Amino acid sequence: MASYRSRRSGTNKQVWNWVVTIGSVFFCLLILPIRLPGMDIVGVGPNWLLIWVVAWSMYRLPWEGAIAGVVLGILHDSLSAAFPTHVIGLAITGFLTARLHQRRILQEDLISVALVVFGLAVITETAIALQLTAQYLWTEEPLYPDIGTIWQYHQRVALSSAILSSLWAPALYYPLKKWWDKYRVKDRLKD
Amino acid sequence: MFALRRWWEKNAVKAGLVFLAVGTALGIYQTNGAFVSETFRFLARPFQGNTPPEKVESPYILDLQQRVVELENQNQKLRELIDYSKNSDLDITTPAAVIGRSPDNWWQQLTLNKGAADDVKEGDFVTGPGGLVGRVVAVTPNTSRVLLISDPSSQIGAKISRSRSTGYIRGGAGSQATMQFFEKLPDAKPGDVIVTSSFSRLFPQGVPIGRIASIDSEASPAPEAVVQLSVPVSNLEWVDIHPYTPKLDVDAAPAKIVTDDNP
Repeated sequence: MASYRSRRSGTNKQVWNWVVTIGSVFFCLLILPIRLPGMDIVGVGPNWLLIWVVAWSMYRLPWEGAIAGVVLGILHDSLSAAFPTHVIGLAITGFLTARLHQRRILQEDLISVALVVFGLAVITETAIALQLTAQYLWTEEPLYPDIGTIWQYHQRVALSSAILSSLWAPALYYPLKKWWDKYRVKDRLKD
Repeated sequence: MFALRRWWEKNAVKAGLVFLAVGTALGIYQTNGAFVSETFRFLARPFQGNTPPEKVESPYILDLQQRVVELENQNQKLRELIDYSKNSDLDITTPAAVIGRSPDNWWQQLTLNKGAADDVKEGDFVTGPGGLVGRVVAVTPNTSRVLLISDPSSQIGAKISRSRSTGYIRGGAGSQATMQFFEKLPDAKPGDVIVTSSFSRLFPQGVPIGRIASIDSEASPAPEAVVQLSVPVSNLEWVDIHPYTPKLDVDAAPAKIVTDDNP
């Protein structure tokens, strides 16, 4: 009887973990089009999906981080456009975060998370600017008229998005980390 | 083979979860994020009124409106005289509320609360108080996504309504856009009103876009003008959707010329 109850509560816990994980991704997707006061510098908002990928990859293996990046990248594309894709930037983000944490270069406190989010936001926007540049160089009908415009715009987007994302990072990272910590501690106690 | 089976026994659940996650994401991608947009619209509902705000009607505006009606009638008469077909694109409108901004930093987009259920379709164009806003690029049952004219990738054929000098306009990600003229010495000066021209494939002609703020006649290869968009793209709340079918076949091969020896 006792073992039955503990197994049931374990399954319950797992279900709740999935609900929180998927729910938080969904929440991020829903706040992407919202610009509340303080969420906007020159029309650019924080990159919520990037913060989520960083929070997820913190305690996981590099390939798990990369897969999460791919999945969230596809979701982000579904809300904007197929090209330029977000998959590459977010996959790099997931992989790098997990790798940096494995190597103990990246700690878990909020300041280092804000810093790493700043750097990775710049990398993500650069991945998009590189795609646009490649499209300009090798296709007939590019989206942007010249390379100068792309990189000028990149400067603006990368800087604003990096500042906002790193400032908003704790708001999303902290509750997620708390939840996953709690879930994991309970898991470990049971074993 | 054995190693492979052992790996599978150990990692089957993980692999399944990865496939499930990627598959779900691709499914949502296939539907243009309809699920997310629809939920967003549902949640945004309490925060928006149901009717567009009353238009401000000062005596000055009323006077101008009456003059416009008079001029339109005259114009209509003249067109009838030369057998010009009536252009009624601007007659039917669907008012829609702006419920979201661009979900991505590289695109200048808006999310509206009207979709396929209200007969909105891809290619329709959107106007706001003052002029052109953009065009619909994606629709879900109850929402639609609009690409703004301020997006750096949108390019519109435009002309100066006073002198008919033509060129094209490119967005500058803000409230200003750049107009490049086709001629070397265009008849343009600051304050001139810019409207869409008949060269525009994605928009009907004659929709106001903005006014010239300054002109750079030294620019190469053709003179450029900075255009102040007349619609406040960064704080729009209500817009009108007009049905329109873009003329996308202008690049098609010309019809075969029938001659005597080639019937």
